Amino acid sequence: MEFIAGLANGFLSLFQAGAATFTGWVTGIIPLVVVLMTAVNSLIKLIGEDRVNGIAKASTKYAITRYTVLPVLAVIFLANPMCYTFGRFVDSKYKPAFYDAAVSFVHPVTGLFPHANGGELFVYMGIAAGVSQLGLPLGDLAVRYFFVGVVVILLRGIVTEKIYLHMLKSDGKNG
Amino acid sequence: MYKSVTVKAGKGGWGGPLTLVPTEAKHKVVSITGGGIHPIAESLAAMMECEAVDGFSTGVPDDEILVAVVDCGGTARCGVYPKKRIFTINVLPVGQTGPLAKFITEDIYVSGVDESCFSYANESDVQAAAASSAPKSKAQAKQEVARMSAGKEKGFITRLGIAIGGVVSKFYAAGRETIDITIKSILPFMAFVSMILGIISASGIGDVIANTISPIASTLPGMLIISFICAMPFLSPVLGPGAVIAQIVGTLLGVQIGLGNIPPQYALPALFAIDAQVGGDFVPVGLSLGEADPETIELGVPAVLYSRVITGPAAVIIAYVASIGLYS
Repeated sequence: MEFIAGLANGFLSLFQAGAATFTGWVTGIIPLVVVLMTAVNSLIKLIGEDRVNGIAKASTKYAITRYTVLPVLAVIFLANPMCYTFGRFVDSKYKPAFYDAAVSFVHPVTGLFPHANGGELFVYMGIAAGVSQLGLPLGDLAVRYFFVGVVVILLRGIVTEKIYLHMLKSDGKNG
Repeated sequence: MYKSVTVKAGKGGWGGPLTLVPTEAKHKVVSITGGGIHPIAESLAAMMECEAVDGFSTGVPDDEILVAVVDCGGTARCGVYPKKRIFTINVLPVGQTGPLAKFITEDIYVSGVDESCFSYANESDVQAAAASSAPKSKAQAKQEVARMSAGKEKGFITRLGIAIGGVVSKFYAAGRETIDITIKSILPFMAFVSMILGIISASGIGDVIANTISPIASTLPGMLIISFICAMPFLSPVLGPGAVIAQIVGTLLGVQIGLGNIPPQYALPALFAIDAQVGGDFVPVGLSLGEADPETIELGVPAVLYSRVITGPAAVIIAYVASIGLYS
């Protein structure tokens, strides 16, 4: 009997560490995320998608805004995965590059605006949880993640645009 | 001659049954399963005597798609096609979930499907399926009537009341959306990752990770190698779905940062190193959401994947430079 009880305890202890982690996340992460997400969601509903359409269209003209302003607006206002529908504003030859820029922003955005990708928070949250365990503030990391994200999507947009146009050209010669 | 097939939900699955009636215009079974045609798509197409298409490398116009076959764990793909009102078969047993959960309904979506779920449809089902498309126009007519009556002049008080009601209802909807995503996406993820983490730490695998991964993830060359592996064009579509792998690796690295095995300023470059594959599985779907034509999708997929080989490691270097002064 004692042997079986010991076995059961060993089995349960395997999950106690997990239970502690779960409690920590539910009390430490969820309250802030819920309130922040509700606030930003409300704000975005009040502003409305229609009102950013004008800015979105205007930003497609230059590469520097096409791969920064447009994807950032798309991700914040439409969230993953509907943000890719802003691709309709850009010229066919820039669509793959726009997609690359937009999709590459769906994680950097979550540090400051978790509503934009609520299903995939843990790319950021997982790493951030370790940083806050050390007692360090997360603001600096979230802001830097956001802005490095903007630089990276600009780079991705430009590089993917070049590669796509090159492929389009060589494909035309072969065909 | 095409044959109609009824698809019901498989073990642990949800939704359906769907009656698929191929026509001359709409007869393509599109497999969007990270490259290649899924065997389920293949056998369904064979039963209906339709064409199976690899939606990952070939673009198909939406109005030619009879049914989309996906292997979505619950983030995006399982909702994108229902939102467009295209019949969707998910080979994984996933119910109404993800940001597009509200579009996933029993009349358009069925999951957990395997070959035993297919059967030839009988005559009455086919007629019912054909008839169900007709009443939609009635609903549209009703909407138009509602719109016309909405255009009439209203008093100031009425308009003020409507405006306040509108604002409050938006706040309420925002709250409901937030709780929805917390329950449907965030909490399930926390449950399964805390279970994995618990087992890892209790079983001693944690020490192995601390001794092997931590030294790699706390140097710039190590992170460049991680990002390069994630960005390899044949790996990135496999690593992508739902960002599940990036999220687990992120959590594991977070644990190591918390233990002091990886310096905290490496958090920033690490965020980019583990995420070089982001969306690599989703290119054709994302492009079709952006109204790209099939030719653009066909060349766009490899363009994005090749680009990542360069921009994946480049992002790590940018983030590394930007992390100077962080937490020091």
